[in-house]
Amino acid sequence: MKRVNGRIMTVFFFALAVLFLAAVTAAGWVFSEEALVTDFSRKNLGPGLQYLFGTDWLGRDMFIRTLTGLSMSIRIGILAAGVSSVLALLLGTMAATMGKTVDAVITWVIDLVMGIPHILLLILISYALGKGLKGVVVGVALTHWTSLARVIRGEVMQLKEALYIRTARKLGVGGFEIAWKHMFPHLFPQFLVGLILTFPHAILHEASITFLGFGLSPEQPAVGIILSESMKYLAMGRWWLALFPGLFLVFTVVLFDVAGENLRRLMDPGSVHI
Amino acid sequence: MHKKIFRLLLAAAFAGSMLTGCKGRDTAAGEQPPAEEQPAAEEKDSVIVAMGPSSEPESGFDPAYGWGAGEHVHEPLIQSTLTVTNTDLSIGYDLAEDMQVSEDGMTWTVTIREDVKFTDGEPLTAEDVVFTYNTVKENSSVNDFTMLKEAVAVDGKTVEFRMERPYSIWPYSMAIVGIVPEHAYGPDYGEHPVGSGRYIMKQWDKGQQIIFEANPDYYGEAPKMKKVTVLFMDEDAAYAASLAGQVDLAYTSASYSDQTIDGYELLAYETVDNRGINLPAVPASADEKGNVVGNDFTSDVRVRRAINIGIDREEMIENVLNGYGTAAYSICDKMPWYNETAEVSFDLEGAAALLDEAGWTAGSDGIRQKDGVRAELNILYASGDSVRQALAADMQNQLKELGIEASIEGVGWDTAYTRALAEPLMWGWGAHTPMELYNIYHTLEGGSAEYSPYSNESVDQYMDEALKAVSLEDSYDLWKKAQWDGTSGVTQEGDIPWIWLCNIDHLYWARTDLHVADQKLHPHGHGWSIVNNVDQWYWE
Repeated sequence: MKRVNGRIMTVFFFALAVLFLAAVTAAGWVFSEEALVTDFSRKNLGPGLQYLFGTDWLGRDMFIRTLTGLSMSIRIGILAAGVSSVLALLLGTMAATMGKTVDAVITWVIDLVMGIPHILLLILISYALGKGLKGVVVGVALTHWTSLARVIRGEVMQLKEALYIRTARKLGVGGFEIAWKHMFPHLFPQFLVGLILTFPHAILHEASITFLGFGLSPEQPAVGIILSESMKYLAMGRWWLALFPGLFLVFTVVLFDVAGENLRRLMDPGSVHI
Repeated sequence: MHKKIFRLLLAAAFAGSMLTGCKGRDTAAGEQPPAEEQPAAEEKDSVIVAMGPSSEPESGFDPAYGWGAGEHVHEPLIQSTLTVTNTDLSIGYDLAEDMQVSEDGMTWTVTIREDVKFTDGEPLTAEDVVFTYNTVKENSSVNDFTMLKEAVAVDGKTVEFRMERPYSIWPYSMAIVGIVPEHAYGPDYGEHPVGSGRYIMKQWDKGQQIIFEANPDYYGEAPKMKKVTVLFMDEDAAYAASLAGQVDLAYTSASYSDQTIDGYELLAYETVDNRGINLPAVPASADEKGNVVGNDFTSDVRVRRAINIGIDREEMIENVLNGYGTAAYSICDKMPWYNETAEVSFDLEGAAALLDEAGWTAGSDGIRQKDGVRAELNILYASGDSVRQALAADMQNQLKELGIEASIEGVGWDTAYTRALAEPLMWGWGAHTPMELYNIYHTLEGGSAEYSPYSNESVDQYMDEALKAVSLEDSYDLWKKAQWDGTSGVTQEGDIPWIWLCNIDHLYWARTDLHVADQKLHPHGHGWSIVNNVDQWYWE
């Protein structure tokens, strides 16, 4: 039998992670109605065959609630990470190419946002926008672009001095064309990995501000809400309310990390041939 | 093994609650100085009570800023009051020896006992009473004293209250105002209260505990409990503290009622702490600020009646409260001013017939419709209140059987009041005064009642008359008529602008050898009411 080489393994792990995340997202979509159903005839049941993760004090199926919650988290993560990565790309490139003043302003903004603790800024933004989905997405997007923007800014600054860019400029190629045709392909791997690694942050932050009561509204099956509700019932010995959703949240976050790491290895010239 | 897992989780729960960094949580960690100070084996005359963190009086023990009064009424313990409410919610006397009201209801004359001293040794005189009432009228942030013009001392033991308008239920207002000493009252009174009541506040560690000691010179029967320690902790911490044997009595809720704790019993007290929803009684429109007011579906009185009889209250109490509650039909069940005709029995078919008659007929998906409008309700509840959430969820399920599609939504109190003008909100009310009826149902100047759009002239008129009545007994009758006079009112056959669901029993874990004295029906608020008569508790 042919030995499985590192590249195939990497592809395999990446595919597995993506598949699982896609499945959770889809399942949440399918079950979104059912996750809200309350049935008092089946309240406070422990985990079993019928209800894998047990039920809570309103008789809601925790398995379906967890899936729906994670699905919502993933969707919020994709939205927030997408917005913040595009923001990072734009601002990073602008800082590097549009002269000293723009650079100074953008660098100052980056320092400012980084200087305030994430969670505090998130709560402020989310609260100002009236909490809910909008508040969370905008909040996460506006607080997570900074480090990626820095990386891209540095990268573009280096590229600017590269021989082929200078040559292109000498040949009279326009600024936008240089950026799009010559720089972006070079930046893409950084950008993509940055995007994927923002997911776990976004998801955890969504869960934590919802846990603290500044995020999604409490009847929605979000993981942060599930976990904060479960706190009260731990003392009564209803451990399943916190354990499974918590584990699955960690699992999801780890999978995003795995996917991002493997993708990096696949795209990074330094490790692409292992 | 089970125990081990349980302990581990408990530890995690504690760590979690500490992490959230609320100042009130420290007490959960286990350092309870009062518990350790107790003399062993001697006859015990002290008690440790756990209450919720929100019971801690924010502005201290000043009656003008909410101590004893406001939304959650209770006896002020440190101070004396002129009157008290008896177990049956009739009026009794504390400092007062006699009270008279003039024919026109504009002057109340109260004579007070002369043997009462404040704990700093100064006698309590009519001047102090006058000072107290004029101060609360001036400053009170939580109570409405606009009906009082002024208090005047006629002599050392007689006080005259001159009113702006007749107010027959004045004795109920007098039952919640603790008398403060004029000579020792200042901006810091809340933190250093001096009173003439059964207890002296000895120590207050903010965010943790308050220690009371019996007043040795109390004019009434000497308190049996010499020392009362009140701890403030969250529900789960209170439960854990009972498990650890650190408290003698701890508040709890129905979700814990299936647990057992060695050495403790579960005490359940009936209340008028009701839960109910408002149903806006006018069609939807926008007010001048652009907020929606009214609801097209619930503006139909037959819809409101159908919901009132289409809800199985007993099932709801079983489902949500594990049976620890009583069905509610008004805001004032079992009070002297309650009109029993408010009671209805569960009748699903009758409710369906009412909806059919009103033209709301079932569509293809089982949900009723009328002129293209679906029978939909969005029930709001205060987020973070698991009982109200569960009540709303159970209501949602029950309404489905009626062909009404309900959704539930958790909201914060910052927006709840405005949104309740258009959508039903899960409320909690219940106080020891008929003014609650007035607050809920009486029309304000804007042409509608305060909390939910509704107005009925005859209901208003009865309540206005009730306030003008010469005697309390007469006023009870008029309050009853305001609810239902045979042709109009706020009950099932009337306008039914609010649906009352249940009165929530107040539950406590108490040591089996602690004798807790009989309680009067607790009002809304699961806090200080339990210690109203802590002076009469004893250890068996």
